[in-house]
Amino acid sequence: MSQRPSYAVGTGLFIVLGFAALGYLATQTTSVANTSRGPSYTVEAHFANIGQLKERAPVKVAGVRIGQVKSIVLDPGKETADVKLAIDQRYSQIPEDSVATIFTSGLLGDQYVGIQYGSSKKLVTEGGTLVLTRPAQQLEEMLGKFFGAGGAADNLSGSYVVKARFTNIGALSVGAPVKMAGVAIGSVQSVSADPVKLDAEVTLAIDKKYDQIPDDSAAAVFTSGLIGTQYVAIQPGGSPDMLKNGDEMVLTQSALQIEDLIGKFLVSGSPSDKKDADNGKAAGDKSGDKH
Amino acid sequence: MSVSMSPNNIVLRSLSQIGECGLFLLRILAAVPRSLRHIRETVRQLWFVGAMSLIIIMVCGLFVGMVLGLQLYDVLSIFGGTSATGTVVAIAIYRELGPVVTALLFAGRAGTSVTAEIGLMRATDQIAAMEMMAVDPIAYVAVPRFLAGVIAMPLLCCVFCALGIFGGHLVGVNWLGIDNGTFWSNMTATVDLMKDVVNGVLWKSVVFGAVVSLIAVFQGYTTPPTSEGVAYATTRTVVASSIAILALDFVLTAFLM
Amino acid sequence: MTEPTRAKPDDNALVRVRGLTTVLNGKKVFDALDMDIPRGKITAIMGPSGTGKTTLLKHITGQMRGDAGEVWVDGNQVSALSRDKLFELRERIGYLFQNSALLTDFDVFENVAFPLRQHTQLPEVLIRNIVLTKLQAVGLRGAAGLMPTELSGGMARRVALARAIVFDPMLILYDEPFVGLDPIALNQVLKLIRTLNETLGITSVLVAHELEAIKQVADHIYLIANGKVVAQGDPKTIADDGSPWTRQFFGGESDGPVPFQYPAGDLGASLGFPRRGA
Repeated sequence: MSQRPSYAVGTGLFIVLGFAALGYLATQTTSVANTSRGPSYTVEAHFANIGQLKERAPVKVAGVRIGQVKSIVLDPGKETADVKLAIDQRYSQIPEDSVATIFTSGLLGDQYVGIQYGSSKKLVTEGGTLVLTRPAQQLEEMLGKFFGAGGAADNLSGSYVVKARFTNIGALSVGAPVKMAGVAIGSVQSVSADPVKLDAEVTLAIDKKYDQIPDDSAAAVFTSGLIGTQYVAIQPGGSPDMLKNGDEMVLTQSALQIEDLIGKFLVSGSPSDKKDADNGKAAGDKSGDKH
Repeated sequence: MSVSMSPNNIVLRSLSQIGECGLFLLRILAAVPRSLRHIRETVRQLWFVGAMSLIIIMVCGLFVGMVLGLQLYDVLSIFGGTSATGTVVAIAIYRELGPVVTALLFAGRAGTSVTAEIGLMRATDQIAAMEMMAVDPIAYVAVPRFLAGVIAMPLLCCVFCALGIFGGHLVGVNWLGIDNGTFWSNMTATVDLMKDVVNGVLWKSVVFGAVVSLIAVFQGYTTPPTSEGVAYATTRTVVASSIAILALDFVLTAFLM
Repeated sequence: MTEPTRAKPDDNALVRVRGLTTVLNGKKVFDALDMDIPRGKITAIMGPSGTGKTTLLKHITGQMRGDAGEVWVDGNQVSALSRDKLFELRERIGYLFQNSALLTDFDVFENVAFPLRQHTQLPEVLIRNIVLTKLQAVGLRGAAGLMPTELSGGMARRVALARAIVFDPMLILYDEPFVGLDPIALNQVLKLIRTLNETLGITSVLVAHELEAIKQVADHIYLIANGKVVAQGDPKTIADDGSPWTRQFFGGESDGPVPFQYPAGDLGASLGFPRRGA
């Protein structure tokens, strides 16, 4: 123990180094680095399509993080997703007419909410709403003017069944989600080939909560992301009559072929929307025709 | 002692080893309060098993991170997803490579020296001399080394992980040209404090540290006090530790997921 | 074979062994062993290799327990003591190991100071004084800064002796203190044993084979064989009691009551020769 001081100092250094490494790992390389600290206030925004936006995704202004997504819900009977944003208290100078847009960081990156400041002198406050929004944009949309994309299918309680016919379903399989405005509202119950009409008959089980879907709505087979699975997207129509159990959806759009899409993209040029760079969603990877 | 007299069947022998090891753990835990007066000895052992293992841990961590960066960049470039390199390097290191590789290195570097040291202390009657000087050798010899292992492993693992991330960054950003901001922001967006750092790095490495130290101390303590016995015990420490680490890694992963 | 000599009860005995019977690995090491070790004297325990002399020392210190019988040390029955009481008792017993058993992590000074540091909260100055006094007593004060690996066998044994007496024990057990020592070192250790006994009045128990050396220091000799005391007495007279055990042991004959051959079956049968008349 006559050597004790050197041991003690060396061991102390070792412990300090270990804890410094732990502190570095915990604060600099994990999502803790992104977590907003200090008080925040909540603002609502309604999006027609949230794409793959998830809870805790960042909210940014000019690319700088100012808060995070607190919750995402789809109100029954509504076509828009209700997104609550928790924004740091110190960024309380957001004009009421600011525009909230869902962007994608990089090709495979997560989506986030970007806010572009408006010019109004009135500021949004706790519980306020950003009225001006722009939904997540998809390659399918830019090409074929359709909505789509979203997260995984929910667990459904009660559901009703509608049928839809497609000339090509690509790689759509039983259990794939059915989405409206990007939010899952049901799942594919069965897929079978019709020997007479030579097309595919798909049965969709839709949650009873969502019984306000017009009967002239269109069903389309989309792909989530570049290498994602396929799903059925429903685009609401304008008919006053609603879909009921056992109905058949008349307007359908089959799975798109990537070569087909690229071809059209090149021919028709990029759509007017200027947000190309942020929309990294490429189209489906399976064969199919366009109706 | 009774191991040599146990049945020849290898299964029964392994079982009785595990059983004796478990009983030895109970003896160690029971002696922890008594060993608090030997806290200086624990600090000294922390220096030997922890600080002395730092160099090998840091060098290996750096190279593991570098090779991960290289391999993942290669694979991810097929999908055009090289921006995710940082994320995957971090997750691979935190969840698996960090704790497992650190524990294997720890068993090879510190575990063997603990086994050999205790084995030699037995062979030269130092353990018996302590008994005769009314010093409990479990409290003075076994517990400080066990505690030092339990404390040192998580710290070593954190250092390993930090160096691994640095190595991945070195290859990914400085060499292969991934954008620095993308590397970090993708990592911080995906890596979770609880799931990856606390469950992956800390919990696993505490358990691995306890298991490796227990095996090392047990093998040294129960080996026949001959030079041959010490040599066998050192080998058994590495073999038993490696199996225990990898098997426990699976169990822990399943539980902590 | 003569009747083994029975120890007479002696109130002056520091260590008293009564009817100790121990079976190790199926072999009877002690068979109703009786022994008295008088206070303040040097007692030597001799016997052929493998008769359990070291094992007997381990019984006295409570490191091993007999299957039957009792070992009393200073009025305590060792096998009945609780762990704490046993440790208290051991603090009053010095034990010199055959291979010295110095702690290789520490230098000579710290080795001698080890029991003090473990059992007392003495100030550093006092510890230093005690340790240097004990090292002076064994003639190694100048070696205080050396590591155990730098010591010769004789020096290591003297350091171990300094460590054993650091608490001024009532009893010192010497396990083969003369093994592997050159004549000079042997005489140094011999002198120390005698000095410690004379000046401090420490009761000493010696386990050794060196008859000449023992004759110089021991007050009483026990000869053990086959788990029993086969002879005891004064070093000058013990060799003359006429029993075959003493004649073989002190005369150094290769065969006698202790057989040259380890027990084995018929040699002819082992070598595979056909038995006569079979």
